Amino acid sequence: MAVRRIEVRERVMERNDALARDVRSSLRRHGVTALNLVSSPGSGKTLLLERTLRDLGDEVRMAVVTGDVQTQNDADRIARWTDDLVQAVVTGGACHLDARQVSNALEVLDLDRIELLFIENVGNLVCPAGWDLGEEAKVVLFSVTEGEDKPLKYPKMFQQARYGVLTKTDLLPHVPFDVERAVAFAREVNPDLEFFRTSSTTGDGLAGWYDFLRTVAGRARATTGAESEPSGRVTAGT
Amino acid sequence: MHEMSVALEICRIAEDQVGLDTLRRVREVGLEVGRHSGVEPDNLLFCLEVLLERPPFAGARAELELTPGDELRVTYLEVDDGGATH
Repeated sequence: MAVRRIEVRERVMERNDALARDVRSSLRRHGVTALNLVSSPGSGKTLLLERTLRDLGDEVRMAVVTGDVQTQNDADRIARWTDDLVQAVVTGGACHLDARQVSNALEVLDLDRIELLFIENVGNLVCPAGWDLGEEAKVVLFSVTEGEDKPLKYPKMFQQARYGVLTKTDLLPHVPFDVERAVAFAREVNPDLEFFRTSSTTGDGLAGWYDFLRTVAGRARATTGAESEPSGRVTAGT
Repeated sequence: MHEMSVALEICRIAEDQVGLDTLRRVREVGLEVGRHSGVEPDNLLFCLEVLLERPPFAGARAELELTPGDELRVTYLEVDDGGATH
């Protein structure tokens, strides 16, 4: 009986991260900006997407990859607003999307037709922080019916996000939510977080969100092709 | 509960190292768990205990080393070659 030690030193997330890198470079090549929408369940990711597709669909070509834990409900809702560019991922109980699921979804989407890709993650402020999906940026949604201290309770997610969307602002007169305090908590964990204040029900504040989306979509379009392919380079070995 | 996904990936990495030799048994899996890796060590250990009961692990132990930073690595494996002669 011979017991020996094998040095491994392999990053546990490497396989996911390698796929995420492939997804990212494929999206960049096609001039597609991908935003990974994360939040707790019920913060309004699906409704924000429905409004966005309805209001901006004529100007910006958008697609959605949506992760539902058990149903097809979110995908069905979103499919009402866009013809064929919804790819549903039923996670079968998993608490997050991973790069494999996004990579598979991209295979059936026509990237040449798309400028903006939304990835609607599973509602969860913990687990999705661990998985790079190849997105350009994470957008964290945060509704006024939640506690103002959410950013302090889930710092990793708020640190990773580049943009924050405060949702359901139409309910502010009815709930004891202090917007300034919430934003201050968010900036405490991530000083660079850019915030939008929106109500998908009344449409308040959506103009700013749409301007932002037009800008990022245009930026990606402008850089398409500028990034030269590493053509003719041969990599030896594995 | 993403610790189970992480634990499954750890097992996959270990199985890759051991290969298809059915006589080999993994005795110990060494891990580096960053304090900011977003993984709860106790939860991960529990998941690994469950997964490591089946072959090719046969009750292997998981040895966690808590490290600063956010890295998560399989650092080493202790493998019993059993009757393998090559």
